[in-house]
Amino acid sequence: MGDELEEARAKIARQAGEIERLRRRLSDEGFAEDLRQTLTLAAAAGTIGSPVRHGLLLQMIVETAAAVIGARAGSLFLIDFATDELVFEVAFGSRAEQIEGHRMPADRGIAGLVATSGQPMAVSDARDNPQVFKDIGDRIGYHPESILCVPLFYADRVLGVFEMLDKVGAPAFSREDMRTLGMFANQAAVAIELSRTYRHVAPLIGELLASLGDIAADQKRTLLERSEAFAAHAEEEVSYRETLDLAKLIQEIAWRGDEERAACLAILRGFADYLRSRPEPEEM
Amino acid sequence: MAEPHPAWSAPFERGVLRKLEPVLPLEDITPEWAWGGSTGRGVKVAVVDSGIDASHPAVGHVEGWVTVDEGPGGTVFDTAPHEDLFGHGTACAGIIRAIAPDCELHSVRVLGRALLGRGSVFVAGLRWAIENAMHVCNLSLTTSKKEFFGVLHELVDQAYFRNIMLVTSANNMPVRSFPAVFSSVISVASHDSDEPYLFYYNPEPPVEFGAHGVGVRVAWMDGGWITSTGNSFATPHISGIVAKILGKHPELTAFQMKAVLRALAANVYREAAG
Repeated sequence: MGDELEEARAKIARQAGEIERLRRRLSDEGFAEDLRQTLTLAAAAGTIGSPVRHGLLLQMIVETAAAVIGARAGSLFLIDFATDELVFEVAFGSRAEQIEGHRMPADRGIAGLVATSGQPMAVSDARDNPQVFKDIGDRIGYHPESILCVPLFYADRVLGVFEMLDKVGAPAFSREDMRTLGMFANQAAVAIELSRTYRHVAPLIGELLASLGDIAADQKRTLLERSEAFAAHAEEEVSYRETLDLAKLIQEIAWRGDEERAACLAILRGFADYLRSRPEPEEM
Repeated sequence: MAEPHPAWSAPFERGVLRKLEPVLPLEDITPEWAWGGSTGRGVKVAVVDSGIDASHPAVGHVEGWVTVDEGPGGTVFDTAPHEDLFGHGTACAGIIRAIAPDCELHSVRVLGRALLGRGSVFVAGLRWAIENAMHVCNLSLTTSKKEFFGVLHELVDQAYFRNIMLVTSANNMPVRSFPAVFSSVISVASHDSDEPYLFYYNPEPPVEFGAHGVGVRVAWMDGGWITSTGNSFATPHISGIVAKILGKHPELTAFQMKAVLRALAANVYREAAG
């Protein structure tokens, strides 16, 4: 993953000029559209759309978001519903390597609040409240001055939280920053959810590109054709297809609601218990 | 067997018809008429949130408590005083208290430790507030889960018919959040000027009101204060103003309240106004 990441970083650095130009033009309404176009270009150029694992994709989304918004550090957490914890999926900035994979309870902190409430939020004088933001301070080794946190929504569910720390050159993150991070959060959520569902890179890229809107039609067609061919090949495998169907069914049931999920879990557990209790077949 | 015929027309029969006081012509409504001299006394305001820290100097007295949770046998309501888990409910309570200093605050804690099942706890908390005859509910929380569309729609109608004002945050993320998108609620997003009594009306719903929600100095955990941005903090400004208006005009209905708020919005042009 190291080389790919270096290469991606170099690409992002090459885009820095473009991003800087955009930031100078940062106007209320135009910015979001400009950003969208940049993302589309980045996808077409292969920065986002290249066949990379979803971890790398998320790393790039976090780094690009931090560069565009102007944040010293950023991280992306996913919710582990089994334990009510937030799991660091990707971190960028100070102590990033140490933080990745760490867990923290979802019932505290700004990230926990945003995960539970689903409402985006920014805080600007965080340093006056070292106790309040102790969790972040402990995590990254210093007390940030400003925080911006938005939920990762996929369909109607919160999957996780996207957090930026320390706005560069200003005491606080703005409403426009909140909106911009929200757009990145949507990209990240699409990437995460598709990768979870399909565990497959090709459909992920196809969906991601589709979600980015209009790009040159022939480029899009080529990419989609390639991803479809890739997906079709994988789907020839019966076991893969059936496992995929099973995963889709479980996801569909789980998304219905808490009771449905509990029922599904109980049925599957019962079946698994039955299988476990069955005498092992004789060795042939 | 036929259903019993509802007597919907009975209230309009001669001798039964109630006489009601008129409200001022809309162009004559001023802040002085609406809330001048009112402290929100007698108005019950439910903060449906993460709890309230009653020891925070910004909050003062909290009149009632309920913690809503999912237990093994169903929803559990605990009326013992509780803490604020995040600071968010304390922030909302402090904003409301600053505007309506004598209102009765009730903390309905629905944000808890468990992330799953949060939607049903939120619904149960809102139902509690309606059944316990609150006058105003501050809902700086919403749920985006479609499975709660129906039950929340029913509750929001119930609140409207009982004349309970639901003041809800719009979610800035691209999701439909309930009950903020329903027509009878007072839905709120943020403007960026720092005047707590200044709000705007948006003639293109679903979000109808914009209040102070950028760089708001709010009470937080451990007696602290933070400066915060989010629609969550715009909403209690409107809740406070609604409580203040109800303190002076308890007879106002939910639809009249919206008309009064619209008349007082800073972007409503008034020829005569000074």
